[in-house]
Amino acid sequence: MNPFPKADELTRRQFVSNAARAYLGVHLFPMLGGTLASAAPTETAKGGTAKNVIYLYMSGGMSHVDTFDPKPKKKDIMGKTEAIPSKVDDVLVGHYLPKTAAVMDNVCVINSMNSTQGAHEQGAYIMHTSYQMRGTIKHPSLGAWVMKLGGRIHPELPGFVAIDSSPELTGGGFLGAKFAAAPIGSPTDGLQDSTRSGGVSAEDFERRLSLADRMNREFHGKYANADVKAYEELYREAIALMNSKDLKAFDLGQESAATRELYGPGRFAQGCLLARRLVENGVRFVEVQLGGWDTHYDNFAGVAGRCKEFDQAYAALITDLAKSGRLKDTLVVVATEFGRSPEIQADHKDGRDHHPGAFSCLLAGGGIKGGIKHGVTDASGSKVKDGIVTVQDFNATIAHALALPYDTIVMSPSMRPFKLADKGAPVTSLFA
Amino acid sequence: MKPIFILLLCGASLGLLDAQTLPPQKSPEFIKKAALQIDQHVASFYRSKNLAVPKTTDDATFLRRAFLVSIGRIPTAEEALAFLEIEDPTKREALIEYVLNSKGFSSHMTNWAFDLLRITDGRMGSSATNEPYRHWVRTAMTDNMPWDEFTRLLISSSGDGWSQATAAVGYYTRDRGMPLDNLSNTMRVFLGARMECAQCHDDPYGTTERHDFYELAAFTHGQTTLGQQHMRPLWDELVQGEKMRSEEYRVAQVLWDKIYGMSLAGGGAGQIQLPGDYQYRDGRPGELIAGRTPFGQTVRMSDKKVENDGRKKLAAWMIAKTEAQFPTMIANRMWKRVMGKGIYEPVDEFIPAEKTHHPALVAYLSELMIELGYDLRSFQKILLLTRTFQFATNPLPSSVDGGDDFHGRKIERLSSEQIWDSLITLAAGDPDKQATRTLDDRIYVSGKPVLTGKKTMTQLSKEVLALDSEAEVRTYFARLVSEVQASSPGAGDESSMMGMKTIKKYDKNAKVRASELPSPAPRDHFLYLFGASDREVVDGFSREPNVGQVLSLMNGFVQRELVNQSSAHLYESLKDASSDKEKIRRLYIAILNRPPAEQEMTWMLDEVKQQGDAGYRNIVSALVMSSEFLFLQ
Repeated sequence: MNPFPKADELTRRQFVSNAARAYLGVHLFPMLGGTLASAAPTETAKGGTAKNVIYLYMSGGMSHVDTFDPKPKKKDIMGKTEAIPSKVDDVLVGHYLPKTAAVMDNVCVINSMNSTQGAHEQGAYIMHTSYQMRGTIKHPSLGAWVMKLGGRIHPELPGFVAIDSSPELTGGGFLGAKFAAAPIGSPTDGLQDSTRSGGVSAEDFERRLSLADRMNREFHGKYANADVKAYEELYREAIALMNSKDLKAFDLGQESAATRELYGPGRFAQGCLLARRLVENGVRFVEVQLGGWDTHYDNFAGVAGRCKEFDQAYAALITDLAKSGRLKDTLVVVATEFGRSPEIQADHKDGRDHHPGAFSCLLAGGGIKGGIKHGVTDASGSKVKDGIVTVQDFNATIAHALALPYDTIVMSPSMRPFKLADKGAPVTSLFA
Repeated sequence: MKPIFILLLCGASLGLLDAQTLPPQKSPEFIKKAALQIDQHVASFYRSKNLAVPKTTDDATFLRRAFLVSIGRIPTAEEALAFLEIEDPTKREALIEYVLNSKGFSSHMTNWAFDLLRITDGRMGSSATNEPYRHWVRTAMTDNMPWDEFTRLLISSSGDGWSQATAAVGYYTRDRGMPLDNLSNTMRVFLGARMECAQCHDDPYGTTERHDFYELAAFTHGQTTLGQQHMRPLWDELVQGEKMRSEEYRVAQVLWDKIYGMSLAGGGAGQIQLPGDYQYRDGRPGELIAGRTPFGQTVRMSDKKVENDGRKKLAAWMIAKTEAQFPTMIANRMWKRVMGKGIYEPVDEFIPAEKTHHPALVAYLSELMIELGYDLRSFQKILLLTRTFQFATNPLPSSVDGGDDFHGRKIERLSSEQIWDSLITLAAGDPDKQATRTLDDRIYVSGKPVLTGKKTMTQLSKEVLALDSEAEVRTYFARLVSEVQASSPGAGDESSMMGMKTIKKYDKNAKVRASELPSPAPRDHFLYLFGASDREVVDGFSREPNVGQVLSLMNGFVQRELVNQSSAHLYESLKDASSDKEKIRRLYIAILNRPPAEQEMTWMLDEVKQQGDAGYRNIVSALVMSSEFLFLQ
């Protein structure tokens, strides 16, 4: 059920006013959440077909020349990495990614990513929020924005789930805790504590909540505070979640052994499988992190190790979604905060440093054309030569795949205007 | 058996100590006067803004606040009852004395230091460990090492990574491969100068240029290891194909990664080459430039010869040649720690006193820090003794944008560590009675301890780093391998007494304070769920709420270990209670550290009447789930 049927201005205006009404109900306290301000967005180009997003975040800065932007003519840049052909004629990948190579006909590689932020904190932040880190406000993460503009699908399951991810990057920001991701620490353990503790009757459980509620009303009466209110709202969420008949969406044990083997044994792989289950069950946005890409020291060992975890899992996810016909509904994103220097640092055991000027990200499914490359870097993978895509453009493209009105302005509680992708615009040529 | 602070009450009023012979940080007179001075500065702020002076808060709120702020946990029921029941006008001072002298103080300081310095147990992508470095910092917190000495020892460190005399080298080796990021963090942590962006380009918002950054980087440039070249030929042989599977290789890894790899040689060259992509007119790519400090008093290093004492010079410049920057930074960090909000925020972006909204106070605190010899415990004691600390809670956000308006404490959620440490106090009693984690310097080969009782990493490191040639290394290595092969693997349990020393270590399931658990907290641990930092980024913790936290409070750890656990320590205080009313009162005091209000007592008595024993559990659950428990007032 896509709440945004493609096309007319009228429908979009309707959406905005309905959404405004729905959201205004939440705003008992002006300090909480944001208010939808502007009227309908301006662009009317066709969006994608995605209803869900699986956002795979390569944390630490994934080296682009070793993965999706190899430069086989430059041996001194490639070092130990060899470029191998993929299923798509002019798309080469690093030799650590054989399984991924076989599914590239579903994938769009963006080689012209460009960020202004070359430090981890700032880079990861801007990638996730489209804004620069400031001491004065917390911007919502992409998943929170998608929830805000697109709403949930399933009424009880969380709209946004973050598997093995940092809470700092998957928060609701000024939109409030309602839009923060529900965290899963270990995919095989699933959603922790989602059933009543053993030995607590339904009646006692109700009584506890009622007592806590009374206490909280007193406390809130004395100290009306946004942070306090956020916790109280979450109790309602949590109870709805506990009562949901669809909690088995979080249970990997329900998948066949064959499927689990297809993805592979690692934490990231199981996280990808869980993500697929969750989107099937109506979770709108699932983020899964794979860390360890910050290969300043011994880059090739690091990249080989990370790709080992990534390759099988990613290929399995794409194959799995394609086979079940879900790829058109699901946008699979592979993102990272920046790339890594084409120059190899010999005195750091062949390491590579941060490189935000040019790097690579992937988009697949959700109406994105498969088997294409967008953008070109120079001969050494150092600068973008053509088709530059900023972090903000990338995020706008994700929103566009979901056919969301990405340039809707939302006011923060401090009455400043913000948008999902700040000034970014979607790369519409990527869409079929 | 009443806690010590009752005894301190008597001591405090005697004023025995002679103020003249004591240094300021040890003189009760000086400390009292300083607290008064601070209050006067705050009072003058109110006068200038025409604000009413807030009331001071009640005993119960003060009790909880003092404990959580200074030692990071709620008081035990016994501690709480004792304080609330005494009637003595000096009891608040006595309480401060009590908490500052408790073991918990350094545990809570350790959480702060570990977050600030990003201290983890292990290192990603390497078999090297941060264990000796972690222990060094932990010890420094336990010993209340003055902040300037702490900084100097970290920044100017050099040598053997395992010897506790030089384990501070972990500050640099932790970031092996990213010396420029390490330098950015140094500037941020100690001087509040945010230079990360200048690594790659001139700062568009400030005055720092890329050239400045590299001139500073010259001071720490040239970080190498001690004598690793003597092992190189041997190592190159062992990393060939099949050999990598042998035990020899695994023993060699211990030497290569965990001894050589953790050592730090080269004192800081003082010269550095501009990077290949240097884009500005004031230098050429690859040009050799000399060290020069970017602000404060200028310190230069030679461009003619390699002086190799750059790190020492950097430390000295940071501490004493940046005018008030160094003391002001730490003073503001401590102010935030005690008062809840920095005088200006973010605390890791320095603002000179005259540009803040209270120049006199900032200047005073900076001088005070120097006068106290950077004794952080004494500094915090002074703040805790002020009237300002005792002001009632103010639910409104600060009226000063980006800073403290001194107008009553602002509500903030407890940190992940404070929540955890408080819950284990309820579950298992005073956690400060548990043994502190010790240094685990056993030799591990393939994850198993070897030569236990015979040799430690500390000894091994000393011997290996003294080897002076390839031949010596080969001989030593051959002998070591046969020793390892001959020894039986250690028992591998946490606590082993092998004629050397007892090792105390905790796994992630232990119910001990956060400072003793593995760092960072594993992703499926309560601590991580509630926002503990993964310690890859400075102060990377979060206080953001999410639905997983709430599920945990309702159904998880709290229920298993506390509410439904009849042996939980919290229930002990109920044992000799004579009536339902008394039991409820004690539960309130144990969990919320205050007696119940009349209306609350009515609700709770009703609950017990209707549900019996289950009613008590429901009360405990509700109290722990309440916002009052999660938020510091």
